[in-house]
Amino acid sequence: MNHDRARDLERRIAALLHVGTWTASAVITVGMVMPRGAWVVSGGIALFIALPILRVVVASVELLRRRDFRVGAISVLVLAIIALGIAVGLHGRATAL
Amino acid sequence: MIGAQAAWLFALSLGASAVGGMLGMAGGIFVVPALTALGIDIRTAIAASIVSVIACSCGSAAPFLRRRLTNIRLAIVLELATTLGALTGVLLTGTLPTSFLYFLFAMILLVSAQQMLARRGEPVANGAGGGWGTSLDLHASYPDPDGGPDVHYKVERVPAALALMYAAGLVSALLGIGSGVLKIPAMDTALRLPLKVSSATSNFMIGVTAAASAGAYYARGDIVPAIAGPVAVGSVVGAVLGARILLAVPSERIRALFVGVLVLLAGQMLLEAFGIRLSGGRP
Repeated sequence: MNHDRARDLERRIAALLHVGTWTASAVITVGMVMPRGAWVVSGGIALFIALPILRVVVASVELLRRRDFRVGAISVLVLAIIALGIAVGLHGRATAL
Repeated sequence: MIGAQAAWLFALSLGASAVGGMLGMAGGIFVVPALTALGIDIRTAIAASIVSVIACSCGSAAPFLRRRLTNIRLAIVLELATTLGALTGVLLTGTLPTSFLYFLFAMILLVSAQQMLARRGEPVANGAGGGWGTSLDLHASYPDPDGGPDVHYKVERVPAALALMYAAGLVSALLGIGSGVLKIPAMDTALRLPLKVSSATSNFMIGVTAAASAGAYYARGDIVPAIAGPVAVGSVVGAVLGARILLAVPSERIRALFVGVLVLLAGQMLLEAFGIRLSGGRP
């Protein structure tokens, strides 16, 4: 694997997770001090859940661009499993209502 | 509006996550018992805790990545098993009685106590490293902390690790914890990774594993913002503090103290499993 590009991916993911963590924490904190801010808190929580998923998206794009098709395909499959989980959750909510 | 409850939850998660960080574990294993002790329903506690597990994983990933300790390719391959396990957990959780969840949680606490007693040595690689590790190009290297040449390592027995990771993902989704307890045997016994690489890679994977179940719980409306919000922020702050005072290999006395705490929490969860409450209202 190309060494510089691997380092570049590590740095990009590190920056994404670092900035994302503090942004989501700030959004939740703002929502907590705001009157009727439950929807803002909920948005911050959604942001937290999206962070690792975004990280897999970034890695998938990079792997496929490098023509690393085996691990690239596995990471796309991981995304599909996460999407399936969300679909199961939405279905559960719809049937509960 | 910052209610008294939010302030309490924030402080409690901060403490739980700091203790976890000090021991090099995710805080979920302390967050869930702390929340249920406050009288919060265990399913609500689990859904809130899983968000805090993501927060801790993402919040602590950057330094490991910058020091090149995280094996991203290996993490992706293992995440295939952990997310499948998490999906199974999401499907199962509605069908399991809460007494079973308390019981399983108590068992995980006891296994953690046992692992805390048996110290973790550097696994000895047998150098085989063929099979999937080679065909998926998972072998890697990390910088020598003493400034020498990069340390190369091989990844062994990937299929065995995948089976253990599936179980770890399942337990993570069911109990709202990072499941480091179950990832350690996979990393040490199957893959035989160097300890630093295994901690960094395991921590990295925990976020995606938890996101797979948290995404489903969020979509289903199981996550209560008034509880999960302060818990997530408290956990991030606690994890940062805990990492600063990292006691990954604590001295004998502190180790004995933590083993005691884990056994006590296990006792509390076991009592709950059998419907006996020490404080608060009747079940």
